[in-house]
Amino acid sequence: MKKPLLITAILMVWAITVSPIVWSESTVSENLDLSEYKGKVVVLDFWASWCVPCRRSFPWLNTMHDKYAKDGLVIIGINVDNESESAARFLQQFPAEFKISYDANGVLARKFDVQGMPSSFVIGRDGQMHARHLGFKVRRQDEYEAAIVAALQQEIAE
Amino acid sequence: MNRTVGLVAFTLLLCAGCASMGVEPWERDVLAKQEMQLTTDELEAATDDHIYFSKEASSGGRGFGGGGCGCN
Amino acid sequence: MSRKEMRSISAALAAATCTLLGSGISAPVDAQEEQAWDFNTSLLYYGEDGDRVKDFSVSAIARRMFVDDRYLTLGITVDGLTGATPSGAIRQDVAQTFTRPSGNAAYSVAAGVLPLDDTFKDTRVALSAGWQQPVGETSLINVGASASKEYDYTHFGVNAKYAQDFNQRNTTLSAGFAYSFDSLEPVGGAPTPLTPMLDVGDTSNRLGDQDKDVLDFIFGVTQVVSRNLVVQANYSYSKSDGYLTDPYKVLSLVDGTSGDTLVRSLTPGVEGPSHQFLFENRPGERTKHSIYGQAKYYMSGKVLDASYRYMTDDWEIDSHTVDLRYRIPFGADRYFEPHLRFYTQTEAEFYMLSIPDSLPIPSFASADYRLGNFDAITAGLKYGWRTRNDKEMSVRLEAYRQTGSVPSSQLTGNQAGRDNYPDLNAVILQVGYRF
Repeated sequence: MKKPLLITAILMVWAITVSPIVWSESTVSENLDLSEYKGKVVVLDFWASWCVPCRRSFPWLNTMHDKYAKDGLVIIGINVDNESESAARFLQQFPAEFKISYDANGVLARKFDVQGMPSSFVIGRDGQMHARHLGFKVRRQDEYEAAIVAALQQEIAE
Repeated sequence: MNRTVGLVAFTLLLCAGCASMGVEPWERDVLAKQEMQLTTDELEAATDDHIYFSKEASSGGRGFGGGGCGCN
Repeated sequence: MSRKEMRSISAALAAATCTLLGSGISAPVDAQEEQAWDFNTSLLYYGEDGDRVKDFSVSAIARRMFVDDRYLTLGITVDGLTGATPSGAIRQDVAQTFTRPSGNAAYSVAAGVLPLDDTFKDTRVALSAGWQQPVGETSLINVGASASKEYDYTHFGVNAKYAQDFNQRNTTLSAGFAYSFDSLEPVGGAPTPLTPMLDVGDTSNRLGDQDKDVLDFIFGVTQVVSRNLVVQANYSYSKSDGYLTDPYKVLSLVDGTSGDTLVRSLTPGVEGPSHQFLFENRPGERTKHSIYGQAKYYMSGKVLDASYRYMTDDWEIDSHTVDLRYRIPFGADRYFEPHLRFYTQTEAEFYMLSIPDSLPIPSFASADYRLGNFDAITAGLKYGWRTRNDKEMSVRLEAYRQTGSVPSSQLTGNQAGRDNYPDLNAVILQVGYRF
């Protein structure tokens, strides 16, 4: 009778101290609903406060937002930090003109099969995956931009 | 010699189990911290290597690469 | 001389190695913005007790990131060394006189005192440069060079390392090599090995300058085990060829029964050694194998860094090193880090306290305490904090103690009753500033 209780207690303590899941107040939007962006090009950019290349990608994403939002580009920065305070600190230093969403439990990251940080996905007006980019390299900015432009130029037959 | 064999075997075993071990790319927040790098302070490590190398008969051994945020 | 052993490719490799931190080279995660240049500087004081070695050194490493994770690293260290080091001669119940390595003067050591040679006050400058860049998507390469100079020693070295990530960067395989070419210009010239220490002014048993080269290889695997644990295992191979002897170290030639150093007859009016001493000789090559394992474990803000190294070589030296550091943060801006290190080594096959005249003189012999049997322990504490202008400072204070022994089977006569092994007690104080 005592042993299962003890084991459960130990497991609970272990789960609380070792488990990566931190109960925070960040918005968990596992059910990211892309239907509201139908007809627009959506760029999903997975970022984290601890991801150094993200410091370079944010200014570039802002530039893309400024340039192409009027053409139907929607950028969503999906933050994977465990603690929203870390994300808030990052955003203070590198403000984003685009929408930020939170995925502290990595549900979306897993859904999109993120292979490395940062990762961005270009979803076309047709709702299909047009491009994925692993990492952010300053020298490949033109390539990243070209993928966005190509998606924006796609004509959708209504 | 047996100890060497044991340690090498352990390392190989480690490699064999490597494919299933690890974390998802978005779970590297702790690993990205400065204090979790294998060499946290290179000057301190170089200083220690220098001191012990000149006072003892062994030196080095420390490696490089791996861990960290895994970005880019 | 202790510093002669300092110059090895391992030092160059370690210095260059330390610049490589996987995919993120010491970019402070909480930094406001990425600076063009990152500096890591330190002041170091190393002091042994009594009249023994004191070292004061200033170091700086400058790093600049170029677009897309490419790094240039430049390093400089300036060392000032004073103090005396054991010459290898054993203490006697009478005073002893020695000729200085230069051959130009003599020095005396009182009865019962361990003979120390204090000839060396030296300044050394060491430089290093390295370049690192990614190769493809999941690997990186690092190449570097190093050089150092002091009045009787010059070092040049090159090194290269390659690291490849697997399993979504959870596993990293790495390989590196370093090659160094060192030349020695000992004061007075390197002495012919195992010949006697001669009178002041007599340099008939001197050879010219010497050199050696060292080739090192390292192979390693790093594995992320969990969100809080990363481990590493390495194998290193090192091969040294050339002049590996310490040109300034001697052995006492002792009576095979009493164990007392044989007296030497001095010519009137001529200064010279009071007893018989032979210059040491080490083999012309040395092969070392090491295996090293390290784990870094994060526990709610605290970090445990534990490592073990086993070294074995063809001089029959075996060593074990256990190094433990435990970083404890206090608030967001400061931390304490206690440190414990244990080290033990067995003596070189040709290590001997002295040479008894009852036996033929061996081909290789050294009484250098650093090749003997000893245990060493380091205990220290490091304190680090973020300054008001958001830079990092740290200070660490450590005590290092070496205690050795010569097996009684290797002692002759009266030596058994004496304290033969020059124990070492040293203090390490280092202040670091990163900006």
